[in-house]
Amino acid sequence: MKKKAIILILAIILLISLYLALFAGYNDIGFNLFKKAFNLNNDTDSMILSLLRYPRALKALIAGSSLALAGMFMQAVTKNPLAEPYITGVSAGAGLGIVLSILFFNTINYSIFGFLGALIASFLVIIFSGFSRFSIAKLILIGLSINVFSSAIMSLIILVNPMKSYTMMLILSGGVTNNEIISNKILIVIFIIFLLLSALFVPKLNFLRLDSSLLETNKNKKYFYSAIIIVLSALLTSTSVFCAGILGFIGIIAPQISKMLLGQDYRYLFISNILIGSSLVLMADFIARVIIYPLQVPLGLVVAFIGAPIFVYFLTKKGDMFND
Amino acid sequence: MINIKNLTLKVDNLILFDNANIAIPKNKITVLVGSNGTGKTTLLKVISGIIKPQKINIEKKYKELFYLPQRIKYPKGITLFEYIESSFYKQNWKWFINNDEKEKINEVLKLLELEEKKNTLIDNLSSGELQKANIALALVANADILLLDEPTSNMDLINQIKVLDILKKLVKNGLTCVIVLHDINLSSSYGDYFIGLGKDNKIIQKEKNDFFTSEILKEIYGINFKVVNNDEDFHVQIFN
Repeated sequence: MKKKAIILILAIILLISLYLALFAGYNDIGFNLFKKAFNLNNDTDSMILSLLRYPRALKALIAGSSLALAGMFMQAVTKNPLAEPYITGVSAGAGLGIVLSILFFNTINYSIFGFLGALIASFLVIIFSGFSRFSIAKLILIGLSINVFSSAIMSLIILVNPMKSYTMMLILSGGVTNNEIISNKILIVIFIIFLLLSALFVPKLNFLRLDSSLLETNKNKKYFYSAIIIVLSALLTSTSVFCAGILGFIGIIAPQISKMLLGQDYRYLFISNILIGSSLVLMADFIARVIIYPLQVPLGLVVAFIGAPIFVYFLTKKGDMFND
Repeated sequence: MINIKNLTLKVDNLILFDNANIAIPKNKITVLVGSNGTGKTTLLKVISGIIKPQKINIEKKYKELFYLPQRIKYPKGITLFEYIESSFYKQNWKWFINNDEKEKINEVLKLLELEEKKNTLIDNLSSGELQKANIALALVANADILLLDEPTSNMDLINQIKVLDILKKLVKNGLTCVIVLHDINLSSSYGDYFIGLGKDNKIIQKEKNDFFTSEILKEIYGINFKVVNNDEDFHVQIFN
């Protein structure tokens, strides 16, 4: 019962974050805009809502929940609390994609390149770690190597192109993009497919939580489930890169806070990661929009500013979880 | 049930098994005994297919095998019931187990006298209770052969006897058990068949009544024992 109450509270927090992200602004709490939402027409407020706020909130929501779920998956499969979605080389792959797209195309449609970079990097890591014999440790180390390798290329490109380096750094700090390279409807469909696939593998996480020595007689099943879960996590992370660039930390704190609140029952963790991940990014995006209005702070920085204190708070209160 | 021929296994440069033949009889409790480092755990891992030896010719006749290792880490923040539940998700794709499966878990917990603890977080169970929880995991696994590596090492005497009694009953109903036990007196009350691993890769396999002689025990442990036969319940004392 206690667990259901926690899920309810998290759902309320998500609703509040969603309200703030959609309707509130620098100097108003947004009741007028809220009323407008039920009666959209052609005036400025309706335009702001349907053209700016809705797509933005949608992408924040997708980015947040994808990262949190991907983090949960990676931590469950590696049994390592420090595993994060970017462990499969996604972040540097995405970064390299973004930097290359700004360098060669000078386009604002860098998000699709980020997405492709993330996807290519993570599949390279997965394929390399599958050679000879797959092991989780190998996956982590190859992911690390690909990350270091592509970060080096990325830094080099940024350094030798001072004219474009500011734009590059700004975009690399993460932020919800507003370009419609893929229509939002398609994005929603893709996201729902990934969510359903994730939900399908949630019971398997409840099996994989048993100690690895107990799973040794079921190695084939273990590796089969783990492999699909890692691929799923790479897809989710790449989707989040498409929506909001590279957002560090969400993929670690959302799963860890969930685990501290709810224990290792992945049915609850699945729901709570979606709720916490999307609340965090929606809230951060709202703050990024208003804190130095009319300028905007990069989303990634706000996530770090609010994420770190919340995480440290939970660790001091409930950190017993990490005692061995 | 399991017939191993020509088992040769080297770990680093140490030869643990040299062309050994080992048989595990069906519907019996087979006890593995021997000093530390003679390869008892290794043998269990060979049987369960976790370790691939250099040479082996193995014949298996069982449907499902469950191997319970000696040291286990536990997930955190879940109840004892949920811990046992985990094993059902190996096959299940549904989010929840059905009533039959719930019933089965409850039955096993009752059998092991753990029902009062079923909603306790496993983080708060004692090490003996955790070992019983793992026995429960083994019993719900629908296995027809259990390989248990010192499954009762943290239990008090009463609980050791209770767990071994349960296994003995299940063996009568068709289960096969292979257990590593260090308490030689306890094993004499419950084991049917004994495999002793001695020095220099010596392997002695005998039915209980032939196994409990001071000559054989000396071959395995290298010291002198006095064996008292108490109506087929053997009592072993060390004497020098």
